[in-house]
Amino acid sequence: MGIMRSGASATLAACAAALAIGGANPAPAADNIIKIGALLPMSGPGSYFGAQDKQGIELALDDINRTGVNGYKLEVQYEDSACSPLPATQAAKRLIEQYKPDVVIGEECSDATLAIMPVMAQSKVPLLNAGSSSIKITDPGNPWTFRIMPNEVMQGVDIATNAYKRLDARSAVLLYENTNAGIGNAKVFNETFTSLGGKILADIGFGRDVNDFTAIATRIAGLGKVDVIPTYTLEGQGLKITQALAQAGVTKGGGGQAIQLGTIWLPFGFEQKAGKAALGYIRIVQFDPTDERGNVRNFITAFKMKFNQGPTHLNAHAYDQIGLIADVVHRGAKDAQSIRDGLAATKSFSGVTGSVEFDGKNQNVKMDTIHYMETLDDLSWKALPWN
Amino acid sequence: MSDPAPDARTHRPRWPWYAAAALIVALLPLVFTDSYWRTNLIVCAINVLLAIGLDFILGFAGQLNLGQSAFYGLGAYVSTLLIMQLGLPFWLAFACGVAFAGLAGMVLSLFAARLRGHYLAIASLGFAVITYQVLLNWIGLTQGPLGIYAIPPPPPLALPLLAPIEFTDLKNLFYLVAAFAFAAYGLLDQLVRSPIGETLLAIREDEVSAASLGIDCRAWKVFAFGIGSAVAGMAGCFYAGFVGTLVPDAFFITESFTILAMVVIGGMGTLIGPVAGAILLTILPELLRGLGDARLIVYGVALTLVVLFIPGGMVQAARALVVRARRLMSSPAASVGR
Amino acid sequence: MLTVVLQQAMNGLVVGSLYVLVALGLTLIYGILVQINFAHADVVTLGAFAAYFLMHRFGGGYIAAIVLAFVVGGALGWLTNAAIFSPLRERGNELLPLIATIGLSVTLENAMLAAFGPIPYAFDTPYSNDVLRLGGIFITVQNLLIVAVSAGAIGLLYAFLKFTFMGKALRAVSQDRETAGLVGINPNQLIMVTFVIASALAGMGGAMLGPVLVLTPFAGTSVILKAFAIVIIGGFGNVEGTIIAGLIIGLIESYTTQFLNPGWIDIVVFAILLAMLALRPTGLVAERREENV
Repeated sequence: MGIMRSGASATLAACAAALAIGGANPAPAADNIIKIGALLPMSGPGSYFGAQDKQGIELALDDINRTGVNGYKLEVQYEDSACSPLPATQAAKRLIEQYKPDVVIGEECSDATLAIMPVMAQSKVPLLNAGSSSIKITDPGNPWTFRIMPNEVMQGVDIATNAYKRLDARSAVLLYENTNAGIGNAKVFNETFTSLGGKILADIGFGRDVNDFTAIATRIAGLGKVDVIPTYTLEGQGLKITQALAQAGVTKGGGGQAIQLGTIWLPFGFEQKAGKAALGYIRIVQFDPTDERGNVRNFITAFKMKFNQGPTHLNAHAYDQIGLIADVVHRGAKDAQSIRDGLAATKSFSGVTGSVEFDGKNQNVKMDTIHYMETLDDLSWKALPWN
Repeated sequence: MSDPAPDARTHRPRWPWYAAAALIVALLPLVFTDSYWRTNLIVCAINVLLAIGLDFILGFAGQLNLGQSAFYGLGAYVSTLLIMQLGLPFWLAFACGVAFAGLAGMVLSLFAARLRGHYLAIASLGFAVITYQVLLNWIGLTQGPLGIYAIPPPPPLALPLLAPIEFTDLKNLFYLVAAFAFAAYGLLDQLVRSPIGETLLAIREDEVSAASLGIDCRAWKVFAFGIGSAVAGMAGCFYAGFVGTLVPDAFFITESFTILAMVVIGGMGTLIGPVAGAILLTILPELLRGLGDARLIVYGVALTLVVLFIPGGMVQAARALVVRARRLMSSPAASVGR
Repeated sequence: MLTVVLQQAMNGLVVGSLYVLVALGLTLIYGILVQINFAHADVVTLGAFAAYFLMHRFGGGYIAAIVLAFVVGGALGWLTNAAIFSPLRERGNELLPLIATIGLSVTLENAMLAAFGPIPYAFDTPYSNDVLRLGGIFITVQNLLIVAVSAGAIGLLYAFLKFTFMGKALRAVSQDRETAGLVGINPNQLIMVTFVIASALAGMGGAMLGPVLVLTPFAGTSVILKAFAIVIIGGFGNVEGTIIAGLIIGLIESYTTQFLNPGWIDIVVFAILLAMLALRPTGLVAERREENV
């Protein structure tokens, strides 16, 4: 009985101590601080999302906090949401209870974003998302959730229409990873393309543990004339797919004539790894490093100076999230409610990923966030004037 | 590696322990009043269910079941689909979910009746893989990776003379899950202390000898599996209403390994061990959040070291401490006699 | 259509050889030790990373990288045996070592994650982009290399087991450890040798597979489950069975991809596994008696 009692109270004491340590926040040095919570994947397979987001955020904070905005400085607290619903919910609650942010940015993965939305809404803290494509995030209309990234419907309809009209594509093979984002995007392409009169020759979903794509490439090669292959997957498998398709002689990079179409997830630098196999790849990117706009050039220069490498779309969209918040504060917002209202009223913010104007469902509707790039012979990108 | 027969302590009354535990459980959400820690408490309770279920199969019946994640997932999905698609009331769906998981466990056990040791381990793992893949790919039924959202918590409980108890309140939800965990623990404890428990232990130690004593090993293994998997299904039913979101990834096979770690680190073959293991392995990662990925390394290292040096887990370590404490407290002369 | 069917056969054999390379070590360890090593996958991954870094950071050649991976794998095998299997052998409990290797696997994977990060590495070798074509069929030189090395390893292993003294001693120990001890064979030493060889094979396999796999710290785990399935379907401890089962699984993969969808592969493979366990647990090529069944 003795050990049990002391054990239990020891546990309680330990828990209380941990809570005290975890919960204590040093009082902010200046009174005027806008507290920004960042729910990003820092562990597990999605951890490079979080790492790169952090870089973009830090660069933005450097710029903005040099002079502050409207007398306020911006402060960011990071929490690991691990790209998955339960850890994300726990991290969100921890963030809200202990840090009490005025606004939260995150998550990257659609599942996690959908899971934390109710937590944010209940606590009346606005959530600014830049990385999840699922339509469910904005479709029902959530007053506390905002998204600057074009959703899967915007991207899918646009790319399918462009494929049909500008590339004269009439046949397509869908290739996608078996995740929320992969399936969702493929579905939209399918519906749009077929409604225009195109034909889907095969609909191939694969798990994240597939390494060898030769069998899939062989199957596609056996289908006859294929015009476009919309591919929805992350870099690791994307690389293998592109190489396998070239080896099987299906795509332009391999002497065939099919064109791979892709979306936002493949970073710049993919071509260097894929080599000639990536020739002719046309994809939507969230960040166009050849963009001539002044703010983009400055961003690239500053990023290279600070981190010694060119920025990816993850760096860029995180940078924009902070930039947009600063813009809202500049317009007079100073707490959760006013930030929410300020975001909703945004009509013409110009970020490095494109412009922002939110519609009634808090989805950014500006199409210049959808940049089309084509991979050339020398593996560089050519911006296509489709938007 | 574990306590073979609890004879030495059957004479001492158990109810003070239960009462003390009930008191602690009742006080916890009153000490931890923010939703973050209350969320953790609920996760603890769910993990306790999973761990004691597995330990019943593994520690007592000696069956290496690596498929606990499948039963967890089946309980969650079956109950959720019945609620969301067919509009069944929560508790009916709950019962169905638990029953389905239990049945699945029994089927697996029947199927693997002749298998022992590693074969059973791989068979159960194979079962877990297939279950996960079905949940993932049968999008028409389960929504697969698209996920099921806005799953409601258990409906309010209307008690006479009191205001209805809402389970959107985390404190109440914790009490509910903890109550079930308590009940499950009590049930398993009774089973383990009864002749049934001795039968299972006999099967665990030496199946051939047990059979020669007239024990129907197959039937008892199926029984143990059924109970253990039903308890896991119960955890799944609560998980769905608690998180509100259901995706197959929550039930990937690595979940089986985590539950195994809880059982082993806590103390395989005891019932209080898995409880301790579940609580520790739920709270520790939260306390170690600052370490990021390193905390998973700590998990793995802890599991390996415990198996190597303290195979009885925390329970063994605690008992060793008690023995040492007793020796220190009693006089030197008396301790020689021990 | 014929071309497609033939090409998928070729693809299947390549993928099968890939699995065999990983599964061989598992079957060897099981054959002698009656133990499952869950950390085997991570030896493969570690071998792949070792080879990658030698080539891409230190400018080493591919052959050197393969040798390094072989050595790293062997070292890890020796360590696993010395630290885990040896001490636990006396306890006589078959579950504890298995659980310990699970712990080891989790540790290794997350240590690699902390060290290398989750972004896939693009492991290129001089052969990964060259393609051989004959008729309408193609194969990359890297894949050809995998098949050749698999076949070579199998041949060498076979010869070793059948013709050398140590090989025969190994077979003796796997059949009856105590009697082998009576005849003057030192089982502990043999077990250590087996472990080292099996893990070295795995490490080398990693170096061959690195260019083919999506190289992250979790690369090994994407193949390990199927490797286990192959080892059981072929018969635990049975080299010929493992080879046949590996090739069959490879063919199943490519034909399932062709005629159904890749999502079905795991279901088909594990359904076959469960069927085998129900009907013929000793495996396709039943040779050794199994007291576990």
